[in-house]
Amino acid sequence: MKKVININFQGQVIAIEETAYEILKQYIESLKRYFSREEDGDEIVNDIECRIAELFGNRLKHGISCITDEDVESIITSIGKPEDFDTDYEASTETASERQQAATAGGSDETTQPKTEEHRSLYRNANDRIIGGVCSGLAHYFRTDPVWLRIIFVLLFGFLFWVYIVLWIVLKPKALETNVTKRLYRNPNDRFLAGICGGMAAYFKIDSWIPRVLFLLPLLLNLMGMISFFPLNHLFGDVHFSWNINMSMLVVYVVLWIIIPEAKTVKQKLEMMGEEEYIRSIRERVNDNVASAKSRTESQGPAAGPRPAGNAASYAAMDTHSKEEWVSMEGTTMDTMDTMPPEPPAAPSRVTTPPSSERPGCVNGLIILLKIIFFSIVSIFALVLVGLFIGFMVAGAQLMPLKSLFIDPGQETQLLIASLVLIILIPVVTIVIWIIRRVMKAKSRPVIGIVATVLWFVGFALAGVLATSVAEKYKVESSGEKTITLAPVMSKKMYVEMEPYTEDYAEFKAGFGIGMDIDELPYTTVNEDSLLFRDIHLQIRQSDDSLFHVRTIAASRGEDLRSAKAAIGQFSYPVVQRDSVLVLPEFLSVPVSQGYREQSITVEISVPAGKTVEVNDALSEYKNNQPPSVVRKRIRRYSRTYTPGEVTTPDGDSEHTATSDSI
Amino acid sequence: MNIENTQSQMRKGVLEYCILSIIKRGEAYPGDIIDEMKSAGLQLLEGTLYPLLNRLKNAGILTYQWVESNSGPPRKYFRLTDRGFEFYTLLETTWNELATGVETVARKTNEIK
Repeated sequence: MKKVININFQGQVIAIEETAYEILKQYIESLKRYFSREEDGDEIVNDIECRIAELFGNRLKHGISCITDEDVESIITSIGKPEDFDTDYEASTETASERQQAATAGGSDETTQPKTEEHRSLYRNANDRIIGGVCSGLAHYFRTDPVWLRIIFVLLFGFLFWVYIVLWIVLKPKALETNVTKRLYRNPNDRFLAGICGGMAAYFKIDSWIPRVLFLLPLLLNLMGMISFFPLNHLFGDVHFSWNINMSMLVVYVVLWIIIPEAKTVKQKLEMMGEEEYIRSIRERVNDNVASAKSRTESQGPAAGPRPAGNAASYAAMDTHSKEEWVSMEGTTMDTMDTMPPEPPAAPSRVTTPPSSERPGCVNGLIILLKIIFFSIVSIFALVLVGLFIGFMVAGAQLMPLKSLFIDPGQETQLLIASLVLIILIPVVTIVIWIIRRVMKAKSRPVIGIVATVLWFVGFALAGVLATSVAEKYKVESSGEKTITLAPVMSKKMYVEMEPYTEDYAEFKAGFGIGMDIDELPYTTVNEDSLLFRDIHLQIRQSDDSLFHVRTIAASRGEDLRSAKAAIGQFSYPVVQRDSVLVLPEFLSVPVSQGYREQSITVEISVPAGKTVEVNDALSEYKNNQPPSVVRKRIRRYSRTYTPGEVTTPDGDSEHTATSDSI
Repeated sequence: MNIENTQSQMRKGVLEYCILSIIKRGEAYPGDIIDEMKSAGLQLLEGTLYPLLNRLKNAGILTYQWVESNSGPPRKYFRLTDRGFEFYTLLETTWNELATGVETVARKTNEIK
């Protein structure tokens, strides 16, 4: 005794034994797998299905009431199994090893997962995508649940954004069948809001209240903390209502809502729960349905009301079988049927549709709204990133003239060039290659994308190495001082003048007036053998004796103390006394090979009691400068009594320096 | 040296020629082609016919049209395109040369000196 079911196969209603149907289904699956390698594979399978439907039709016309196992077997023999095709005729493009693989895959048991995908190469998955299908394509490649990859991409958004874009551009979309047995879905049968917790519960085989409580835990704790008379208040006293954690929980929930697909088809529900679990639940439900359907048919009697015209044929076909059989088979077949296009007659399926999987309209609208908000944020972010990238490129080009200040010729320059070439050129070249391949309609080569991505990150790594080696040069700060005692000054007042630099000099320019304080930048002499810095600080203090003293403190940075000291030794800042006039050069001059190492010079003039100094206005800028910390320490050590207020007029009379017109 | 392999290699080479010969005589759907081949004593798995037709169609040698059938789903009726006729003529020439040549070589009984 065998159960007979009706299937809608290529537009024909076929009465078929259930076992025969299983054989047929497996056979068509194996054909699908085999022909997926072929161009238009779906069409070929469809042609074969048409042919099978025709052969079935012929058989049924000859007075046979239903299709049996033997019928299906004989049709399969005449059409041939995929493993037979290989010895008879094969695509010329395939290599022997691939054929071998396909043959074993085609012949393998239906229950095992298809181990050999077509070439197992990287595609974007057109079947399962949130944005571009990159994550699910990657997941397909690594045989994991796309949700994990999506989570990784969301968490490392800033870092992986470009990877995503590159993959999106490079990879070809392809409809991929899922190749994992278990996946995290949103559970439409067990849900409070979106079914995320229900899906987690199904995935981890726990009760669904556990993830729900975990999600609500921060809120619960906060609420408890807010109730002041709560006896355990002191336990929760520290837990204040924090928008931060509640909002982040909400964000996590919404993100999960977006990235976890809902289990809609039976296959997906199978994947969500794991197969045994699902079959058990189906069995329970079927039993319920059978019971209810039985009671209904009994109550309604044989006249089950007017039937839709389209189903007349199917009802006619089932006339040979008992009505109860029809009903009982619904439970088992309607679910498994939906892999077979088109859908079985719709009217009876109401009996077995799983409990409401439709969202109420308002929730649906909310989801769409949330998705719109999410995607607009993402796109704004992406635009900002693109803008920043272009900005960095332009700024980088503008800052090139300053390169020599920070970067030594030789190895470091090579590093700089290599990293710039990789970072800028790789995306450009990749896009160009992609466009060319698109135009030439060449086959997608994921390896190009992978290599490009790797090289691109190598570029960043080189830039990192360079940045470290540049930062290294600023590690140690050092200073050196010289004191000269000036010849006795006859007059009561000494004048401090600036000696302007008489030669021409060139400024380092960043171009486009990019926000860079020009005063911070050094100048270079015309023949470019020295750098000229304006980082000069003028200090005035009271002298310990009756003479004027000038102390110059030079400071510089370097990768070690020795190199910093050596740099200081090369400073040129001649202070000259002409009678009662002290002349300070406009610039501190250092050899160009030093580069910019925060070189500075501090000039401290000690004024004896009873005398004053008058500083020319040209130097006033230098007077207000703050010397670097290493120099400030020295000043403090040597002149504890020093306070800026009393410097210029040590003896009290305020003949201050504002009179710049004195010379 | 595998005998089955060699046999299938031999069959494979003439398969396209056979199919095109049948279609050349008029529009045919895969069922006709199978029947024709079987009645001529040429064994052919239907499963290998469909991809072959598909490939010939993609190469522009064949074209098809849907025809309603009263014994099942609509059928694809294939016919040769202009290019298909050229292709067929070339195949025909090659086959005739090959057939005569093979016949001559295989029929010779005198020993080689």
